Amino acid sequence: MFYRLAGVHHTRYQSARRLWPVPADRWQVLFLLALAVVAPFFLSNLYLGSYLLPWLIWSAAALSLTLLMGTAGQLHFGFAAVMAIGAYSSIHLVRFGVPFEIALVGAGVTAAVIGSLFGMAALRVKGLYLVMATLAMQYLVDWVIINVPAISGGAQATLRTPTVSFLLVPVDSLVSRYYLALIWVVLVTLFFLNVKRTSFGRALVAIRDKDFAAAVIGVDPFRTKLVAFFTSSFMGGVSGAILAFAYYRAVTPEQFSFNVSIQLVAMVLVGGLGSAVGGFLGAGFVLLIPIFLTNLVAWLAGAGWIAISANLIAHVPLMIYGALIIGFLLFEPLGLAKIYDNIRKYFLVWPFRHSRS
Amino acid sequence: MLLDAEQTGSAAGLHPNWKADDHLIAVLARNAHEHPDEVALRERDQGIWQEYTWADYLDVVLAFAAGLEAEGVSPGDIMMVIGDNRPNLYFAMLGAIVLRAIPSPAYPDTPPGEIADQLAREDIELAMGEDQEQVDKLLLAREKHPALRLIVYDDPRGLTTSPPPGTAAFEDIAAAGRERLEKEPTLRDALLARPNVHDVAILLHSSGTTATPKGVPLKHGHLLAGVRNAAAAGYFRQGEVHMAYLPTAWVGDFAFSVVAGLELRFIVNIPESQETALHDLREIAPTLYFSSPRAWSSMLTRVQVGIAESTPFKRWLYQVFMPFAVELERARLKGQKPGVMARLRRGLGEFLIYRPIRDQLGLSRVERPYTAGEAIGEDVFLFFRALGLDLRQFYGQTETCALAVAQSREDISLTSVGRPFPGIEVKIDDKGEILIRADNVFDGYFRDEAATAEALRDGWLHTGDAGQFEEDGALVVLGRVSEIVHTADGRRYIPTYIENRLKFSQFIKDACVIGAARPFISAIVCIDFEAVGQWAQENGISYTSYADLSQKPRVYDLIQGVAQDVNGKMPEGLHVARFVNLHKEFDPDDGEVTRTRKLRRELIDERYADIITAIYDGRDEVDYEAHITYETGQTGVIARRLAIRTTEGGG
Repeated sequence: MFYRLAGVHHTRYQSARRLWPVPADRWQVLFLLALAVVAPFFLSNLYLGSYLLPWLIWSAAALSLTLLMGTAGQLHFGFAAVMAIGAYSSIHLVRFGVPFEIALVGAGVTAAVIGSLFGMAALRVKGLYLVMATLAMQYLVDWVIINVPAISGGAQATLRTPTVSFLLVPVDSLVSRYYLALIWVVLVTLFFLNVKRTSFGRALVAIRDKDFAAAVIGVDPFRTKLVAFFTSSFMGGVSGAILAFAYYRAVTPEQFSFNVSIQLVAMVLVGGLGSAVGGFLGAGFVLLIPIFLTNLVAWLAGAGWIAISANLIAHVPLMIYGALIIGFLLFEPLGLAKIYDNIRKYFLVWPFRHSRS
Repeated sequence: MLLDAEQTGSAAGLHPNWKADDHLIAVLARNAHEHPDEVALRERDQGIWQEYTWADYLDVVLAFAAGLEAEGVSPGDIMMVIGDNRPNLYFAMLGAIVLRAIPSPAYPDTPPGEIADQLAREDIELAMGEDQEQVDKLLLAREKHPALRLIVYDDPRGLTTSPPPGTAAFEDIAAAGRERLEKEPTLRDALLARPNVHDVAILLHSSGTTATPKGVPLKHGHLLAGVRNAAAAGYFRQGEVHMAYLPTAWVGDFAFSVVAGLELRFIVNIPESQETALHDLREIAPTLYFSSPRAWSSMLTRVQVGIAESTPFKRWLYQVFMPFAVELERARLKGQKPGVMARLRRGLGEFLIYRPIRDQLGLSRVERPYTAGEAIGEDVFLFFRALGLDLRQFYGQTETCALAVAQSREDISLTSVGRPFPGIEVKIDDKGEILIRADNVFDGYFRDEAATAEALRDGWLHTGDAGQFEEDGALVVLGRVSEIVHTADGRRYIPTYIENRLKFSQFIKDACVIGAARPFISAIVCIDFEAVGQWAQENGISYTSYADLSQKPRVYDLIQGVAQDVNGKMPEGLHVARFVNLHKEFDPDDGEVTRTRKLRRELIDERYADIITAIYDGRDEVDYEAHITYETGQTGVIARRLAIRTTEGGG
């Protein structure tokens, strides 16, 4: 209905293979981007700082993880640890006097190096065993951070982030922190979308589908898996640093504990493995739906629509939230991205029917 | 050359108003000079569109001409061109025209035997084939007609390692020509100055329903006059985007894709293959679209099948808006103006249904959709007009460069074909035959004095079509004059008229009405496999093959219903009383229809004599063995017991 495909033709393969070859998709992306850019001018500080800002940063983190889990097929249950490494490295680098821009890169590199060290396990083990190896990373990193005062500043300490400036603009006000996060998520999204179109991206998919078959056709599994861990951990590390500087403005070890890793995996799975749209939808779902449900239940109870005890008010949203996750995954095992894709195709072939696949 | 000059002299006498240097190549050179970087041609190759500018266009044409001349081609030689639409085939035709040689296109599915006939009939020494398949057929034909000394091919696939003797690649000839052009700096201008408006530009063929095809030579002047008359009537605009997907051997393709393309600087788009033509159409979204009534009808079938398989909600929306729009269009053709509510509803439908369907079909940018060749079904015509396409009919023959009469935006009607273009005179003689006189009427058939004398009398072309003018001056074409038939008790009718009305149903692909000197009218029906197959699926009828499906009693019920509907609209005495579903389709390879799908009645009468006898003997079934010819030239037999039905109230 909204999609117009007649007259879209290409005279070069480059233009045929570009991102969003369908004009309607391009307009949607541009519209959303424009909306994100002008958001600070019409959203209240509460919505901007407590909903939109964390959503963007967690989307970047989810995209980093989905590159590894969705595109390369390597399970990772310790991604919060990777982000923690990034967050702590950047703070220490900045405190050491390194400019923030370089500190961000440093955070990424540190996370990438340590991340790929654990990733080497993936060369030997797969599936559940890899989950165990990455879990080990989570606990090891947690332990090191808590028990090495030089990193955490002490077991119960909270490290405040110093005031920094990014490209000569001080990252201080909410608006400047929001734009920092926006720039990062746009960069991650573009990288993620483009990586799928490169030979490296195709190598990742080959490894995901069957690593020894990929080896037979000339994809080096050792190199590819390692680069996958490196790239994903780099982006995860920078996302952790951005999270620390732009959102939390202070770090404690609990912010990157094991259940954060599980939340990240949930974002990726609910959103849809290996999909950019899925990264955003998954992060939004995991992050915002509980808040929305809590508010809804509290409002319903307050208005007298439902009669529940004060104890239950805290638990009902969680129950609904759990049911929703199960419900969505039962309805469409391939995640929210697939639901979006189905809706898109519904309109793409309007008024005919698309063949379900 | 003396003879040549003499010929040109006498030809110039025929058309004193033509300017000698106003020919196709001059038009091409003008485009290349004035708009060298504008896109002239696009071809879809391996998924992307390769573009040729006007400068490229002229360069390739001249290079090929120079190369061809080195192979010893002289003015007046005829070059057969056979294959699907390809840029190099168009370039080759124009290259031959530069040398004053005459391209003679043939339909790509012509079997080797017919190719050999055409080679012999026209003394052809030179041929251009698209690919290995066409070259193989030409080589077979060469065994019968050894005078064919050079076969040029476009696609070298399968021919590079061991090219058969007497063949050459288009690219090689063009490369040799380029070398010549570089060595002889004056050659380019000399080549451009060679053609003359009185030269024959192309040798086309009238479809020949009764006998072997007649050659129709058309001169530069005829073709340009035809296109200019049509453009003057607003039928074409400058710079249209056009799809070249119809056979090159059909006059319309040469007139639209080459002559109008050159004269009005169209962007001509060539699909990757016949199979991808519909998909490629959507990628291009042309502004000018011509299609036969049959193709429009199959497009309608495609939409209907797609909607039938769609989700309930979309189907419901379609049912809410589409029949409404058809009724609105029907009322509009009767001159009624839609009310405010109807217009609002139409606007909503435009957003929800009409525009999306036009976009799906690739017709969203079409401003000038046309149909011609035979009568178009009321359903089809109204459907596409209701969809928001300004579908119009036109009328013309190979002999008039396909362009003679067309509907304007004001006089749309189902029955008439519109008014003559400016510069074209049309009248009806006392026998009811349509006569045409214009600059785009040809000068006579190829080596056929008798046929020429019959067709051209006092400068008027006798079309052989029966017609009449309506009160408002629009022309109505009734059918072929020669086709008027009388039943045994003297009732007059035109078989095609009844057949077309039967074929308006999506379930009937072909029909042959019989009744000359018979007590009543009957029909041999070929069902439409796709539409009836779909219908059978929906109604839980299992079938194995075309032959099996055609003989199902419920399919007979279906066809009987269609026939009775048609009978209801026909005058008393012209009802189809009995019919038989044939267990095979009419096929040009078997000779029942021509390559443009016109019936060859004598052949059908002869071949299906047993069935026809059974119909008039009043039998209810008949055993019949049909002989069929496969594409490879092999033959086979399909034997079946065919049922014969009597319609209710028929006779």
